[in-house]
Amino acid sequence: MKLQEHPFFKKIIKDAWSYWTGAILLAVLNVALFAFSGHPWGITTPFSYWGAWVFKALGGQPENWVYFQNPSHAKALEQNIFTNAGSIQNIGIILGALLATLLASQFKIKKIKSYKQVIAAVLGGLLMGYGARIAFGCNIGAYFSGIASMSLHGWVWAAFALIGAWIGSKLLVKYFM
Amino acid sequence: MAEYRLDCLGEACPVPLLKTQKEMEKLKVGDVLIVEIDHSCAMKNVPEWARNMGYNVEIEEVDDGQWEVYIEKTK
Amino acid sequence: MEAVKKSKKKKANQFPYGIALLVLIVIIGIILSKQSPQLAVRWAFGIAFGFVLQKARFCFTASFRDPVLTGSTSLTRAVIVALMIATIGFAAIQYSAYLNGDTIPGNISPVGIHTAIGAAMFGIGMVIAGGCASGTLMRVGEGYMMQWLSLIFFIIGSLWGAKDFEWWTETFISKSPQVFLPDVFGWGIAFFGQLVLLGLIFIFVEWYEYKRFNTKNLSV
Repeated sequence: MKLQEHPFFKKIIKDAWSYWTGAILLAVLNVALFAFSGHPWGITTPFSYWGAWVFKALGGQPENWVYFQNPSHAKALEQNIFTNAGSIQNIGIILGALLATLLASQFKIKKIKSYKQVIAAVLGGLLMGYGARIAFGCNIGAYFSGIASMSLHGWVWAAFALIGAWIGSKLLVKYFM
Repeated sequence: MAEYRLDCLGEACPVPLLKTQKEMEKLKVGDVLIVEIDHSCAMKNVPEWARNMGYNVEIEEVDDGQWEVYIEKTK
Repeated sequence: MEAVKKSKKKKANQFPYGIALLVLIVIIGIILSKQSPQLAVRWAFGIAFGFVLQKARFCFTASFRDPVLTGSTSLTRAVIVALMIATIGFAAIQYSAYLNGDTIPGNISPVGIHTAIGAAMFGIGMVIAGGCASGTLMRVGEGYMMQWLSLIFFIIGSLWGAKDFEWWTETFISKSPQVFLPDVFGWGIAFFGQLVLLGLIFIFVEWYEYKRFNTKNLSV
């Protein structure tokens, strides 16, 4: 394998990029996505669709909820994971990360180490899911894209996420380490 | 010069860095701490912190997605 | 230090699997483009976002958490740079829509108590779960089982939030305004003011890190 010993290969594929490189590329991608699709980057909205599709398949009726009266949410409810653009993009993120890991030969299944991690993952997941719904977005949709859209909610979001991160840090050190 | 190992395999950010910070405080000047990690982000932030502190740092990829960070306490 | 190092174990080469995955990604892209070109482009965007996030180990969670917990602000500063660049690009798109008399595009949502509560919940969750939405997806791809679990509960939490959205709408959201800063301050002040503010935060954060690393009190 000559290619993998090439310095350029090592720099681009093997080694980690700098945070600044990441920042510039993510910003450019977000602007390009906004220009192309009319909406900036967001991640969590499709998660509510994934949940609703499963809930519907199990016999639930999410279409009666106020949330799904919103035209774009109502439309998504009729779609599936292969026809909903946001869902495809999210699966793309997973596979893009997997691709980067495999090309660098750094893939490893990391098992859950302790019951503390289970509790942390369950609690953290629920808090993020619920929080992102009521606050209109996550680190991407509200913080990154919200502030870049010059919307006040992005700034307020960031201020309170910082407070949340501070509380979370205390909890982490005390209970989850 | 003593050598210590810190097992952070399976730990997610920021736990490896917090444990490293704690461990380094106990070390004497000249001692080396070997931090075992398999968290791809920790492989960036642990060395970065140690360099910020002015310690000598080296990273070795020992297996796929698994690293050992060598930190020598210099001061 | 050389003396203490163990001899290298034999590593598997995963590069060929990566190439196989790349081929698969392209094939899926072609299939999607036959369904609708829009979907294929979004697929490509997703792959690009995931690739960049992983390569740069970019973590929005750390931009909030690390200053508090470890004193490092390198990711905070990187996010501020990303925000500045995106602000410029977004403003161009928004301003041209404004000139055409169209509704201003972008993520402009009602701001109120729900924003504060939701963001704080999110902030706590991302720190204990070890990653936010982008970080969780990226780590799912990297093979962290803890994040597979947190993704499942992320989805359940999203469904839960969607169910309770009615209450939040009636109680807070319907009474909360959408505030687009150029509407309040004018385009010039809002745009340049935001860039200056981000710049000031950048400098403050740099000073904060300097202070943290130059005092003995490093642990929490």
